[in-house]
Amino acid sequence: MRQLDNQHAQSLAAEHGTPLLAIDCHELADRYAALKNALPGVDFYYAVKAFPNASVVNVLNSLGAGFDIATSGELKLMRKLHINPRRCIHTHPIKKDSEIRAALRFGATTFVVDNVAELEKFVPYRSRVGLLLRVSYRNPDAVVDLSKKFGCDLRNAPAILERARELGIRVKGLSFHVGSQSATATAQAQAVRACGDLIRAERLLGHSLDVLDIGGGFPVGYHGKPVEIEDFVRPLREALDELPEGLEVIAEPGRYLVASAVSGVFSVVGKANRGGQPWYYLDDGVYGSFSGIIYDHAHYPLRTVAAYQGGVQSSVVSGPTCDSIDVISEALELPELAIGDLLVGEMMGAYTAASASEFNSLNKAKIISLNEEAYLSQVYYIA
Amino acid sequence: MTKRWEETLYDAYGQGFSVGKVYFESETDHQHLMIFENDKFGRVMVLDGIVQTTEKDEFIYHEMLTHVPVFAHGNVKSVLIVGGGDGGMLREVCKHKGIERITQVEIDQAVIDMAIEFLPKHSDGAFNDPRANIVIDDGLNFVRETDQRFDVIISDSTDPIGPGEALFTSEFYESCKRCLNPGGVMVTQNGVAFMQMDEVQTTAKRLKSTYADWSFYGAAVPTYVGGIMTFAWGSDDSSLRNQPSDLIAERVAAAGIETRYYNAAIHAASFALPEYIRRSLANL
Repeated sequence: MRQLDNQHAQSLAAEHGTPLLAIDCHELADRYAALKNALPGVDFYYAVKAFPNASVVNVLNSLGAGFDIATSGELKLMRKLHINPRRCIHTHPIKKDSEIRAALRFGATTFVVDNVAELEKFVPYRSRVGLLLRVSYRNPDAVVDLSKKFGCDLRNAPAILERARELGIRVKGLSFHVGSQSATATAQAQAVRACGDLIRAERLLGHSLDVLDIGGGFPVGYHGKPVEIEDFVRPLREALDELPEGLEVIAEPGRYLVASAVSGVFSVVGKANRGGQPWYYLDDGVYGSFSGIIYDHAHYPLRTVAAYQGGVQSSVVSGPTCDSIDVISEALELPELAIGDLLVGEMMGAYTAASASEFNSLNKAKIISLNEEAYLSQVYYIA
Repeated sequence: MTKRWEETLYDAYGQGFSVGKVYFESETDHQHLMIFENDKFGRVMVLDGIVQTTEKDEFIYHEMLTHVPVFAHGNVKSVLIVGGGDGGMLREVCKHKGIERITQVEIDQAVIDMAIEFLPKHSDGAFNDPRANIVIDDGLNFVRETDQRFDVIISDSTDPIGPGEALFTSEFYESCKRCLNPGGVMVTQNGVAFMQMDEVQTTAKRLKSTYADWSFYGAAVPTYVGGIMTFAWGSDDSSLRNQPSDLIAERVAAAGIETRYYNAAIHAASFALPEYIRRSLANL
């Protein structure tokens, strides 16, 4: 894994100011290659929501990735960057009619449904679309469980597929998302097998299902220890090998691709001693780039940049807003920092800037990309 | 690698074009418009992933939406064109010397300007015809408000999903009827029936409650893929749709208009609908 070195962090802070998020496009490309190698034959659609950023989209587009979009806001980014709509799938299980129309006008024709009411929204567009039916497969092991809010019970799937046929709407495949940051891919593997069984049963009845979307949830290590993706996907690969013939398998990785590709650079803007513990106030916090602490159950490795004499002490690291919830860490071992010192946050690509707010009317961190020029020559689609 | 553009009208099917020179491109948050060169079809204009018109096959579409209603009527003095910013329809209408007044309502002046510059063969100077009055307005709004009356109304719209949506509503068809002189006729582009039968059925239901005589006629336009394109027809005079061939032939000969697709035999034949369309219209 590539890390932002201290000297580079200092020069970027001097050039761009802080708070700053720096995308390393080489690291992004490495993660994409690693996932492709780990799951050969799977077609990847980057979950744009994880880090909706033009540089990330451009690099992944040049490498042949597709894009998983969920809103018309994300569509605008695809339009702006001239992404081939055939390489975009709309995966939000619940959407307004206006969202469907916006996606169709863009040229995205694959949508996801998980219930009959949602299915019926597609009657006016049935000549144009191909749907995926999202099934629920609960994973008690996931840090972020994505099969509670969305997905139909597998036992109800045949009835929904039957209703789609009655309505003349093409359901071309199944999708699931077991959740993210699991320690193992056992749940994904079980979900793949369950979907495989359903696809076989449907095919025996003469109903073809051609696509299986295995979602995302490929984990990353937030505690300094990278996840070995080859080990993680082993049970999943075994399950994929048992799938019926002729199925197109796709996935929607977000976190795995971008988490390690983005580093944050922050400045200490204030310090205090409260209850015998040092407090350091940074120029970014949980209302900004550290929003994943609240929404994503994530904790990002933070390190100092300068060389320090003396020992370390358990310290509180806080964000810049007036809210007391805006604390990044209650107990981080730090040397004595001075105002103006820099800290680097690692693994800050997924669900960080994406869910940042401007609470207190504070600006969000500036985002820059490094090494992007190496990937731009390969874009082949023009409209 | 040759650049490609693929139409995204359908999930399961689509035509693709090699892309030569790009003459014009405009991308907003909501809409993508592009005109490019293709070896087979000349200049191709696409909007939101869908082919709108091409230089090589536009004549079929524009001739059929113009000459069929005009020759069926036989004594057209006034025409309303709704949409049609590329100017192809206006060009065909202007060929009829007997027509005295032509009103074209286009929602966006920029489309006309762009077409004059980048698709000049479409209008071929027709925007300078003294009979042509170009109004920049929403088509539905115009037919709702105007007190002008027309012998023929031609709706040359985009797809129903997008800016042309209002031109497929009951209100539009009813307002058009109000704007027709007695014995007048309204025609509209209505999609490719084999691919979009819902559109034909929806329009049919709406026409049925508005016009005493309604139907569809058709023509195959290569880049509107999937079989014949259907054109909706609405009038209160059922004889217009059943004019004797000899009469049409006489009118065509008298008009002395040069066409590349339309002729008297095509005129009559275009009202013959295949069984798959007839059946889907039978039990509405």
